[in-house]
Amino acid sequence: MHCKELESVLETEGLGQLPKDARLHLATCGVCQGLLADLNSIASVAKSIPAEVSPPERIWISLRAQLEAEGLIKEPVEAAEHSSWWESFTALFRPRAVATASAGVLVLAIAAFVARTEHTPKPGAAKHQPVAESARPVPTQVTASVSSQPAPVASLPASKGTTPSKIKELAPSPSESASFTLNQAELDVPNMQLAGNSQVDLALRQNLRTLNAFIAECELHLKQNPQDELAREYLNTAYQQKADLLAAMMESGRGDN
Amino acid sequence: MVGNPADAEDLMQEAFLQLFRKIGTFRGESAFSTWLHRMTVNVVLMRLRKKSLPTDSLEETLEPDAENSGPKRDVGAPDLRLSGAVDRVNLERSIEKLPPGYRTVFVLHDVQGYEHNEIADIMGCSVGNSKSQLHKARTRLRDLLQEEIRQQAREERKAAKSPTGSLD
Repeated sequence: MHCKELESVLETEGLGQLPKDARLHLATCGVCQGLLADLNSIASVAKSIPAEVSPPERIWISLRAQLEAEGLIKEPVEAAEHSSWWESFTALFRPRAVATASAGVLVLAIAAFVARTEHTPKPGAAKHQPVAESARPVPTQVTASVSSQPAPVASLPASKGTTPSKIKELAPSPSESASFTLNQAELDVPNMQLAGNSQVDLALRQNLRTLNAFIAECELHLKQNPQDELAREYLNTAYQQKADLLAAMMESGRGDN
Repeated sequence: MVGNPADAEDLMQEAFLQLFRKIGTFRGESAFSTWLHRMTVNVVLMRLRKKSLPTDSLEETLEPDAENSGPKRDVGAPDLRLSGAVDRVNLERSIEKLPPGYRTVFVLHDVQGYEHNEIADIMGCSVGNSKSQLHKARTRLRDLLQEEIRQQAREERKAAKSPTGSLD
């Protein structure tokens, strides 16, 4: 092998393991030994040159400005903070919204049922029965548990000595009767522990407050618009819900008195 | 590759701008780093062409003109050994004098540690071409370093002959 051939081998094979012929030539040629040594030295020193050099900070700032100017990137910080705030707020609100929506659907369904029940009274059923009693027996329990309160609606006409036919004229309207009954039953609630878990207790009281607010709104609307049958149906349904809620609260809780 | 920090910073920004503009064209056929490197090399070569360096085509970039290849070296003739004379400063100075094509392949392989198949992907050439360019870059550097040593030796002799610094 000649020197030129060795160089050709170095060009194609690199500085690694050389073929036998090349090694034999190297053993006898000082020039090629020098060449190989120098090339190895260059490659070795090159490894000490930093492969990456961190550019100054101004380069990144300038780059960012150019990217924003071209619309290739957008400022995400404020949007992320805004969305995270909104996300957390809606997450807090979402369960109540779902519950409120569910309650609204339930109100509509029961209102429709009550409306049908009112328009098609069952034979033998007392017309002066409170709306709540016509749907569920629970309000009876509610009224029964309030022993120190004024007589329930059902006995009111009797105490006044009026005939059933006049009950409807003299007795308060079904809505007012239900409201009175329920308000009486609610008098003991503030002093009661409604559930073994304080969080559940708080939730029940919050639900009751929400329902009371809805009832108050319906009653006010009806006073202004006594002919609004739909509002009346909503109100009756709300009374029903409140009766159910009070019954549940009293069943699960115990008095502190 | 460009030989000075100011140009390097400008080209770095340009390369990243191209990256953001063309990120949608990345198809994943190669590694992302390879794709980015290829884009960067193209950005640099485009700039070098605009500067009217002797690189009118990629082939010329990869195969510099032999007449401009620097000091001639006779194969087989005694050479000045570089052993012990190669340091990082001298080498970096010599790298800056390399033609762009040689410089690119040398930096990618010996400085950054890319393999020939990766360099071929980045440069858009063959593996054999990459190996050939690397060898030629190394031998060119050897010649430049030897010239550097000779120049330093001449200056030292001059300084030794006239301590006052005057020329003879």
